[in-house]
Amino acid sequence: MYGGGYIYEDTNTNNQNDASVNDAAKLEAFEARIAAGEKIEPSDWMPADYRKQLIRMIEQHAHSEIIGALPEGTWITRAPGFKRKLALMAKVQDEVGHAQLLYSAAETLGKPREDMINDLISGKSKYSNVFNYPAETWADTAVIAWLIDAGAIINQVANSKGSYGPYCRALERICTEESFHLKYGHDNVVFLATGTPTQRAMVQDALNRWWKPIMHFFGPSDKISVHNTIMMRWKLKMASNDDMRQKFLDMYVPKIWDLGLTIPDPELRLDEATGKWNYTEPDWEEFKRVINGDGPCNKERLAVRKMAEERGEWVRKALMKQEERYITPLA
Amino acid sequence: MSDNTQAIKNLLFRMADDDLIIGHRNSEWTGLGPILEEDIAFSSMAQDKLGHAQALYNILHSLGEADADTLAFTRNEKNFYCCHFVEYPIRDYDFSLMRHFLFDTADAIRFDMLTNSSCQPLANLAKKVRGEIKYHTMHANIWISQLGKATDESNIRMQAALNECYPLALGIFEKSDYESVLIDSGVFDGEELLQKVWTDIVSEIIEKSNLKMPDINEANLSTLAFGGRKGYHTEFLQPLLDEMTEVYSIDPAAEW
Amino acid sequence: MKSDSTIKSLDPRITRADIPKDENLSINITPLDQWQTYEVFHQAKKGDHHIHVGSLHAPNPEMAFLSAKEQYARRGKCVNIWVVKTADIFTTDFEDEDMYETNNEKMYREAGGYKVMERINKYKKEHKKNPEEAKQ
Repeated sequence: MYGGGYIYEDTNTNNQNDASVNDAAKLEAFEARIAAGEKIEPSDWMPADYRKQLIRMIEQHAHSEIIGALPEGTWITRAPGFKRKLALMAKVQDEVGHAQLLYSAAETLGKPREDMINDLISGKSKYSNVFNYPAETWADTAVIAWLIDAGAIINQVANSKGSYGPYCRALERICTEESFHLKYGHDNVVFLATGTPTQRAMVQDALNRWWKPIMHFFGPSDKISVHNTIMMRWKLKMASNDDMRQKFLDMYVPKIWDLGLTIPDPELRLDEATGKWNYTEPDWEEFKRVINGDGPCNKERLAVRKMAEERGEWVRKALMKQEERYITPLA
Repeated sequence: MSDNTQAIKNLLFRMADDDLIIGHRNSEWTGLGPILEEDIAFSSMAQDKLGHAQALYNILHSLGEADADTLAFTRNEKNFYCCHFVEYPIRDYDFSLMRHFLFDTADAIRFDMLTNSSCQPLANLAKKVRGEIKYHTMHANIWISQLGKATDESNIRMQAALNECYPLALGIFEKSDYESVLIDSGVFDGEELLQKVWTDIVSEIIEKSNLKMPDINEANLSTLAFGGRKGYHTEFLQPLLDEMTEVYSIDPAAEW
Repeated sequence: MKSDSTIKSLDPRITRADIPKDENLSINITPLDQWQTYEVFHQAKKGDHHIHVGSLHAPNPEMAFLSAKEQYARRGKCVNIWVVKTADIFTTDFEDEDMYETNNEKMYREAGGYKVMERINKYKKEHKKNPEEAKQ
């Protein structure tokens, strides 16, 4: 699912101090290749800051997948009927699969998976904020599968046109699987919205609660977020936060309204003159608070990941061979 | 068919309920497995089990029973015919893997026997699922053998899991009242034959895995393992069903 | 009864797992905990080449196969899989791409290096002339 739309910036990043920038000829050739639409491969020369930004970005994306398996996993033992039960299992399984693919892509840049897991659990490395909210009812899984995955697809399709080969290849496969998630989520929402009054109330309630995290999903407004031109030039970031949010609203608000569901934002409307959506500015202070650990589920999500790693430790230790060497995967 | 329909239905219920409950139990590992790669593989097998349960309920439906969702999501425990073994919580991965090995070995033999069943829909299904089940037993055999032989800790864990699981696994072969009808009408060659083949295969793999077969005799045979085929269950089944049907039972008439 | 010191979750699986509350969240996963990596190649249908589809973590080839089958072949068509330990693959750096460049002088290796139509046409033209000249 979930290319957490927003990549948390490292405030220490200052590419002027990047020693490799001195390697002017290599940098020029590198940037020319990117400008020409070529992909960068793991053993290619790349600026240290490009590598650093990519690791952070892909790692956060991978964490978002494995943590993202938890909110929907909340309902995996309670899905109603064979069709939903099988589909939810397959979907959560896909999220685990996406984490596997993305960790592999990040590893090609030289950071072992062990380090990434340690950084996730200690909080040093972030994941998409949206998964720090609880899935309170069955309808939440429908709304997540439809709308969060929709947001993720917008982000991931953009990023799959980026510059790093292994990440783009992983994203292409992920996007194919996301299209199943989106269809499944939409189907699920439609059945609830067109079902009994109880079902309809459930899905409206879930939408009301998830709208705020969905609006947060793409990250802070371009007005307040630092515009990182080098991220754009290196094709690490392919679209601005506001552009992605607008695209999401364009594609999904009409589909939500089609079902007669309401969106909890009185300001939300399409400005015919500009073609842009007006909406209430999301609470970016809350967004920051949740990133920094103070969301409704942050502690539980990380405690659960830690438990899973610890419960599996004896299995991994038993089959580990100390005489082996870890080699960065090829591609 | 009319003479043995009740017998066939009983066999189908036993098989479908086993697959539903173990598939449900194993799905609890999704996202929480010991390593990402194994998480994915274990989830696939749990999905397969639920798929087999659904297919078996569909055959029951064609024999006049309710549809698959109604059968799976509205009966209470008295009307379930799964064995006790599948009802136990997932515990640690050693227990879950050992149950997967013992259950899936029996499942594979049973379906293999059924490829020649006089009940045509069941024979067709048995042929259809052969490939999936081949992977399940391969997965189980490799894991049991590797963890049995890996380290002292993993050997001790797997032996303890085997000691605990093996007596419970014998509940898989608890006979129903229809045993002779099934055999005589060529539907299924019977639990006794199944158990004999199973014991041979299981002991061979157990021995190759540096593990020891538990000593089972009349004296220490666990009575805890039996009763499932007659509708008597462990304390774990009804809470499992309550959880599984929590959403469905908000409105069983609704389309979910 | 669950004690108050464990997490009570909306997810019944998590509540059953008895996870302590307010525990220090850090973990020390050491090198090789996630095993080595294997590269996966799959064949979409008989007769096709095996192509590289990604990598995974496994302690040995059998386990690598079990994982590859579900991670790289659970959807779509696949009839066969190869798994190869990453460490066993010899490859060149992309920086050495110039090694693969073909110079113009190597045209003798290419089908396009052989262009004789001009010569044939010239020959035909010359030899057509002769019989006509002979008639006259």
